[in-house]
Amino acid sequence: MQYETVIGLEVHVELATNSKIFCSCSAHSFGAEPNAHVCPACCGMPGMLPVVNKRVVDYGMKAGLMLNCDINRVTTFDKKSYYYPDLPAAYQTTQWFAPVAVNGLVEIETSKGKKQVRIKQIHMEEDAGKLVHDIREDTTHVDYNRTSVPLIEIVSQPDLSSAEEVEAYLERLKTLLRYAKVAECEMAHGTMRCDVNLSVRPAGSDVLGVRTEMKNMNSVEAIKRAIEYETARHIDAIENHTEVLVQETRRWDDIKGKSYAMRTKETAGDYRYFPDPNVMPVVIDDEWFDRIKASLPEFPEVKRARYMDEYGLTAYDAEQLTKSIALCECFEAAYSVCKNAKDAANWSISEVMSILNVRKMTYDQLNINGHALGELILLVSEGKVGRANGKKILAAMFEDTALQPLSFAEANHMIMSNDTGLIESVAKAVVEADPKAVSDYKSGKEKALMALFGKCMKELKGNCDPQTLREILVNIVNAQ
Amino acid sequence: MDREILRHLEMLNQLQLTEEQKEAALAFFAAREQDNALLDTIDTENVERMVHVMPIMTVVREDVVKQTFTREALQQDAPETDEGYWCVPRVVE
Repeated sequence: MQYETVIGLEVHVELATNSKIFCSCSAHSFGAEPNAHVCPACCGMPGMLPVVNKRVVDYGMKAGLMLNCDINRVTTFDKKSYYYPDLPAAYQTTQWFAPVAVNGLVEIETSKGKKQVRIKQIHMEEDAGKLVHDIREDTTHVDYNRTSVPLIEIVSQPDLSSAEEVEAYLERLKTLLRYAKVAECEMAHGTMRCDVNLSVRPAGSDVLGVRTEMKNMNSVEAIKRAIEYETARHIDAIENHTEVLVQETRRWDDIKGKSYAMRTKETAGDYRYFPDPNVMPVVIDDEWFDRIKASLPEFPEVKRARYMDEYGLTAYDAEQLTKSIALCECFEAAYSVCKNAKDAANWSISEVMSILNVRKMTYDQLNINGHALGELILLVSEGKVGRANGKKILAAMFEDTALQPLSFAEANHMIMSNDTGLIESVAKAVVEADPKAVSDYKSGKEKALMALFGKCMKELKGNCDPQTLREILVNIVNAQ
Repeated sequence: MDREILRHLEMLNQLQLTEEQKEAALAFFAAREQDNALLDTIDTENVERMVHVMPIMTVVREDVVKQTFTREALQQDAPETDEGYWCVPRVVE
């Protein structure tokens, strides 16, 4: 029998705010001492009242609009109750009855073509704390730095049917949220986390099978492996009755490549959601809504088309650049200085990306100054700096974001020489020191000239126009 | 409400009720169910959904970091702390 997998995702994204969602503690605790960024509010002390961070609502709305959602202009917070030490108040303040955004749509593209994935809702909520179990055997240690850090949870409808579609969906979410600059979305840093709801049914059936929820996948690759494993487990259970499938939460172990039952799935009723009496409704008036709508970025597809139309870039170049908003900004800033779109695109795509690869950085960690890149491109295209030295200057720009290419080139003797007298004297010395290369060249070995050329370039530290050097060198060799 | 639901609620709330408390809880919920039944008789067909009992909206604050408390002040009444962490009985095996 043929089966189809039905997948819905719950994606948690940490919003890139300075402070927490309901108090003024820092939302950034990476590398901080445990419990260094806490206060009575985020520690769940009795009597403390939450005050909503405006930027969280800004970003929740912005994410909703990026994902084609309707925005609830009156959005409310609710209490979700459960007991665990990572949740000091014994409830999470989240949104259940009126989430900030509903009914969205995201288009993905896979090897099978384009597909639309419906978004059920996006809700704003607070993160839980961190538990550490390996300091002492008898104790769990609790760190509340992460408690109340703002999250959005993006809940899709069960419209996905393969690991490939899930990967495309997650990539699309990352791109859109990074374009809007509301979140880092880096799974390795925990700023994007994903739970997979999965069931299997006979192909063509409209009845859903038993659903399991999988947690603890820390990368897109782990998510893909988990989906493949869980699909096979469901089919095996249905066909061979190897086990009875139950609705439950499962933990993915990526090292063992298996999922394990964690707990029987709670129902929504078990969380006893009720309106949080401590947070009044958030009312989004027209001025607020219009301001957020006006702040939306140009969407990737629109930008791609503009790059081709306005700058004359190829579809490939436009596609490469628009993968990352950071790369787009670098390219646009470079173009604004050098006024040569092809050069700006080539440097951004080839040279910048190759340094990112070497440094194991993602596009979105790109930190160089685009205007400085434009100045560098001008120096190279005007023949003031050789391309090889240009690449060295670019590498230095990753180390020092304030680096000025011209000053750096001057300080490091990278300015090309127009002194033909100097070039001639260097070429003469190199030719006289290697008579064999001269005779080889004269007997038809073109490579011998290239060897001499390389030696001259080395002597001149790359600071000379290759064409001028070649002409001078050929004249000297022929005169021998 | 019956004893089975009450047992489930005890589990969710991490409570252990005495027999006397269970009887009191069952009587309490039975009375609330009667109240709810009364509410069910009211026609709410054309009544707009209320999001909050008070006609007021929340205030919001700007996204500015302020350190309002020190860890030491917050942990002064904690039964046990260690290296800056709160300590609780172990929750995993």
